[in-house]
Amino acid sequence: MNVVDKIKGQLSSKKLIGIIIGIFLTWFIVAFLVYPNLNLLKLTFFADGRLSLEPFQKLLHSSRALKSLLHSVVLAVSLVVTVNIVGIFLVLVTDYFDIRGAKLLRLGYMTTLIYSGIVLVSGYKFIYGDHGVITNFLVQLFPSLDVTWFKGYWAVLFVMTFAVTSNHVIFLSNAIQKVDYQTIESARNMGASTFYILRRVVFPVLKPTIFAVTILLFLTGLGAVSAPIVLGGRDFQTINPMILSFGQSVTSRDMAALLAIILGVFTLLLLTVMRKIEKGGHYVSISKVKSELKKQKINNKLANAIVHAIAYLLFLIYVMPVIIIVLFSFSDSYSITTSTLSWNHFTFDNYAKLFTQASDFKPYLVSIVYSAVSAVIVVILTLVVARILHKYNHKLSTVLEYAMLIPWLLPSTLIALGLIITYDSPKLIILNNVLTGTVWILLIGYVIVQIPFTLRLLRAAFFSIDHSLEDASKNLGAGTFYTLRRVLLPIIFPSIMAVLALNFNGHLADYDLAVFLYHPLFEPLGIVIKNSSTDQVSVDAKAMVFVYSVILMIISSLTLYLVYGRKAK
Amino acid sequence: MRKPLLIVLSFVLSASLLLSGCASTNQANSGEGGQAPGKTTSADAGKDGTKSLVVYSNSLSDGRGDWLKEQALANGFKLDFVEAGGGDIANRLIAEKNNPVADVVFGLSTINYENFKEQSLLEAYKPVWASEVAEGLNDKEDYYHALVKQAIVLIYNSKLFDEKTAPKDWTDLWKKAEYHGKYDAPSTFGGGTTRAVLAGILVRYQDPNGQYGISQEGWDEIRDYLKFGYHQAEGEDFYANLASGKTPFGPMWSSGIQSREEQYGVKAGVVKPEIGVPYIVEHVAIVKGSKNLDTAKQFVDWFGSAEVQGEWAKKFSSLPANEKALEAAPKDIKDLDASLKTQQIDWQFVAKNMDKWIEKIELELLP
Repeated sequence: MNVVDKIKGQLSSKKLIGIIIGIFLTWFIVAFLVYPNLNLLKLTFFADGRLSLEPFQKLLHSSRALKSLLHSVVLAVSLVVTVNIVGIFLVLVTDYFDIRGAKLLRLGYMTTLIYSGIVLVSGYKFIYGDHGVITNFLVQLFPSLDVTWFKGYWAVLFVMTFAVTSNHVIFLSNAIQKVDYQTIESARNMGASTFYILRRVVFPVLKPTIFAVTILLFLTGLGAVSAPIVLGGRDFQTINPMILSFGQSVTSRDMAALLAIILGVFTLLLLTVMRKIEKGGHYVSISKVKSELKKQKINNKLANAIVHAIAYLLFLIYVMPVIIIVLFSFSDSYSITTSTLSWNHFTFDNYAKLFTQASDFKPYLVSIVYSAVSAVIVVILTLVVARILHKYNHKLSTVLEYAMLIPWLLPSTLIALGLIITYDSPKLIILNNVLTGTVWILLIGYVIVQIPFTLRLLRAAFFSIDHSLEDASKNLGAGTFYTLRRVLLPIIFPSIMAVLALNFNGHLADYDLAVFLYHPLFEPLGIVIKNSSTDQVSVDAKAMVFVYSVILMIISSLTLYLVYGRKAK
Repeated sequence: MRKPLLIVLSFVLSASLLLSGCASTNQANSGEGGQAPGKTTSADAGKDGTKSLVVYSNSLSDGRGDWLKEQALANGFKLDFVEAGGGDIANRLIAEKNNPVADVVFGLSTINYENFKEQSLLEAYKPVWASEVAEGLNDKEDYYHALVKQAIVLIYNSKLFDEKTAPKDWTDLWKKAEYHGKYDAPSTFGGGTTRAVLAGILVRYQDPNGQYGISQEGWDEIRDYLKFGYHQAEGEDFYANLASGKTPFGPMWSSGIQSREEQYGVKAGVVKPEIGVPYIVEHVAIVKGSKNLDTAKQFVDWFGSAEVQGEWAKKFSSLPANEKALEAAPKDIKDLDASLKTQQIDWQFVAKNMDKWIEKIELELLP
């Protein structure tokens, strides 16, 4: 009797946990992933209960809005092309071809992992902008050059191309390790050229990863804010700044929502196309015993020289902004306004100021806390979901997976607007709380936008676990939780850490989402940096931006080192 | 394997504690106010008896914010500022209607306060100095009270132009080719000054049959205004451009002139159109739902007093609405005020339509 009771007790407590998790997930999905977005749709088209096409008419009359929309799409499509070219080249250089100094190159290419957004754009501006190093150099060569040459579409595309290769550097280089070396060798023995092997053996393995990063790329391009604002100039403005300005005014919110929805439609379109292409052919590596990839020599001497040259040129492009930011952080305001560097203007004052003035330190705290807390919440949440997906395979779990991937379809602007519009008045679903004007709304925003990416990675990690391990553990008498804790989690631990680090770093200097949702008294770093780099602020504030940026890079590097550096040892 | 997890976990734990700490101080700042005043003071009083307030304003530039923070602290108020353009501040207040962050708002203009009042965002309170303010500036129902009068004027670089060569009115800027590309035109519309300039132009073309109350002619004027003007690039400063001659003409609020003249060493000439110039009145009001109501009232009493406003006027060359403070105001600004004619503007009409105007301008008229 006793034993039966015990079993019954265990069963029901297990069930109870299951039910609680189920209720929680349902609530979360409805409250934050579905309802706000539907509400946004409703507000846009059914403002007073009837279908209204007024926002559409307004939009059609606005050549400026249409042009900005077009720019956003053009940028997104161009980025898909340029970033894939650059990104794949980077990965081939660091992981496939035998290039001298590949390790150093890799470090350079990884700089985008430690800084992003507005900081990165300002860094590039200091090199190619009005008083930039490169501009000064070019003017000496061609005195007739307009010093403001670095603006518009090409400038934005240039900066963004190099800014968003992070995913290639991480995931594509992982994927390329999975290429079976024996296949490459046999192809070569059969007389295939380097290019042919790349095309027929290497790329098919990379294809799924390329697809995945391409979707992310497209979303980044559509949602671009920082680069177009700073570098776009009058002729190349994208839609997001406009959405932002409309989104802030209550009367114009329907316009903002409509524009955001159009972005969402473009994303859907892309996803459909991608799925079609993806279905076209799946390549599965047939070899069971893989041998490790050996770096390939480029036999053609000329080609080899060219590849080396380009690799190092890219290295320079990647590293220069970082160096400039570090150097300027040690310069006084005179050097910053005039973009000159010299020993006479070397100073530690900026750093001293940071650590003596609490107000200068606060944005860090705010950003670090937001990034860390949201990263952890997302990982816990998606771990639960990934585990469910791993364990069960029925309709409900499929629904769960698709629901969790909703944010992937939506530009972050739309997600932010949905939250603002829905939760600016008490709503029963969140117990009649109001989220606007609280510190929580930005946290929720961060959690939402990180879900799809995190889920994809953690799900993959779970599915790569050999089922026999779990079975063995159970056969030996381990409980579910014990198995999870001592067998499964340790296996996927590296993936968890990687995702944590990427999520954390990714939102440290976030501007694009924060600008919609931040609490006015807790300004995150991205907002502070943007305000001081563009507004008419004192030069001191501009100097602080560099210090902020440097410390940001240090924090990010440390995080990456904790995750990746140790593994390398 | 274990160690990094431990580091990360402990880090995250402390981080979340911090965040909840931030959140709870925030809530403490805005703890139960109305019902239990005694409790409030103990909740938001700092160690030395100072009380904190969140203040929204667009009038904190040129050192105003720092000065006010200092003075207020000496009088027992710890202020947290949220600074942005007048329109942006107004939008934020409206967006936060159901969960206000601000305790007090000051600056902006009558248009905004009329809007706030209509949406019942304000708490009625009659400050002790209300009767000292010039007739007709305060809200009759005591929701907001006037601090400063501000003329929104077109200024020019007096080294390069004089009364004869400068434009006579805003409309000259785009109607006369000689000024094309030489005046500063807005690209963003969140600022109170920009909005007042637009109002000053648009109300001349009021037409009940026109879109949003403005005739087609009026919209064409705005289109030309934006088309023939120079739009600042990121990081540019209007007065710096005025001084350098890049754009010798542009809008300015009257109390902002003096500090810039000193900073750039260039005197500004003021255009005095026949129709007059828009005057905006900056007010102070308490935000409804403020959890620090008592402190907010005390702050308003202190801030609007003749003494503080007089100091403010001396320091930042403003034109106080408080007649007792007016005596302390600098002579220059009083002379300027005397020389300007007030443009007749139906501010209620403006308040009703401004957001739609801005939307139309951003969608259709901005080049």
